[in-house]
Amino acid sequence: MTEAEGYVDQAMAGLAEPQPMYKALRESTPVFRSPQAVVLSRLADIEMALKHTELFSSSMDAVDLGNIRPLIPLQIDPPEHAKYRRILDPLFTPREMARREPRVTELVNEMIDRFADRGECDFHEEFAVPLPCTVFLQLLGLPLEDLDQFLEWKDGVIRPEGDAGYDRSHENMAPAAQQIYDYFERAIDDHIASPRDDVLSSLIAARIEGEPLTREEILDICFLFLIAGLDTVTDSLDCFFVYLARHPEHRHQLIEQPDVLPSAIEELLRWETPVPGVVRIATEDVEVGGCPISKGERVSPLLGAANTDPAEFPDPELVDFHRNPNRHRAFGGGPHRCLGSHLARMELRVALREFHRRIPDYEIKPGTELTFTAALRSVESLPLTFPVPAP
Amino acid sequence: MTRVAVDADRCVGHGRCYTLAPEVFDADEVGHAIVLVEDVSGERQTQAADAERNCPEDAITLSP
Repeated sequence: MTEAEGYVDQAMAGLAEPQPMYKALRESTPVFRSPQAVVLSRLADIEMALKHTELFSSSMDAVDLGNIRPLIPLQIDPPEHAKYRRILDPLFTPREMARREPRVTELVNEMIDRFADRGECDFHEEFAVPLPCTVFLQLLGLPLEDLDQFLEWKDGVIRPEGDAGYDRSHENMAPAAQQIYDYFERAIDDHIASPRDDVLSSLIAARIEGEPLTREEILDICFLFLIAGLDTVTDSLDCFFVYLARHPEHRHQLIEQPDVLPSAIEELLRWETPVPGVVRIATEDVEVGGCPISKGERVSPLLGAANTDPAEFPDPELVDFHRNPNRHRAFGGGPHRCLGSHLARMELRVALREFHRRIPDYEIKPGTELTFTAALRSVESLPLTFPVPAP
Repeated sequence: MTRVAVDADRCVGHGRCYTLAPEVFDADEVGHAIVLVEDVSGERQTQAADAERNCPEDAITLSP
């Protein structure tokens, strides 16, 4: 087994520090044929693949999440993709997210209240998991008591029992997927009966050239939101707090220079790249970097490798909260640029600001061995200890 | 004076420009960039240059 193969194998199992793997791949085999996919690790190739949606399709064949129809908008290719983005993008603009920020600030503080006096917490379990899920329920206008149910379904399709990496069995995910469809069927009925100021009501009211979305289209959008909106912010929070716990000098910058926070978040997104790669399908025989790729082959642009490519980032191994420019691709790029990127940024900004205001000093509980999950980079548990604030 | 332009075919709404240079760029209703001030100098020019360097899609051009 070559070094690169060994690295890719490890990545499937979850890597604490994937950056050396990105570097090794980029330098040895920038277009690497693994058993699961052709992995791209040079920024130029990745950017090309993300932009050329006619050659690299994001259709249902790329990733199976137990869904029975394409997820909207992720698994719809341009040009049809644009009609959905035209109605979805307005719901997730920075301005729209700013409107939601006060409520998220309250929510973050309620969560911190539950453990601040204890001097320790499991950051993953008590903060990184429930925060995005609760924000999601509020945003869509769903009852908060459905939180635990949602978490179970999300894990049922993202990390089904007996599955790892790309080789996923549809049967393992199908039961959870069916429950997700059934749940949203009922939620749609409820919102049709009593519309309110939330995203689900907006989807029901939306019109494309005068026509409403079909029920199936609304379901396919909701399913995607559940997949995309919950896990990824959990992953980001886990990665960021592991980094900040281990790098007190970086953490102190956030406390001493609060204005650095937005650019610190961009830099942590670049360095950690919590969603390390995306998946596409070649629509015809094509050549990338001298490597032939056949029609129908799975291609994985490794966003984490793009974000540490020295062709774009001078001194890529240096984590610099003042890095400028910082054209990272943590949210992908091209037409499929992460729809929720501004929601994620808002949640991360509020979480980092409020947590460090309340609990500026913390460390990972001594003796802890962190286990990173495969594909999407969360940790299974993140025990933090910190001084109890004075009453 | 420097002239600022956004290529609407390239912009996909990363929102970096109107976050970094709010006096020069704004968002339309889907969050894509629009140019607020086409001819910039001084502080606005500095902001516009910052936005241009940070656009992940190379959608912004500054010309004399």
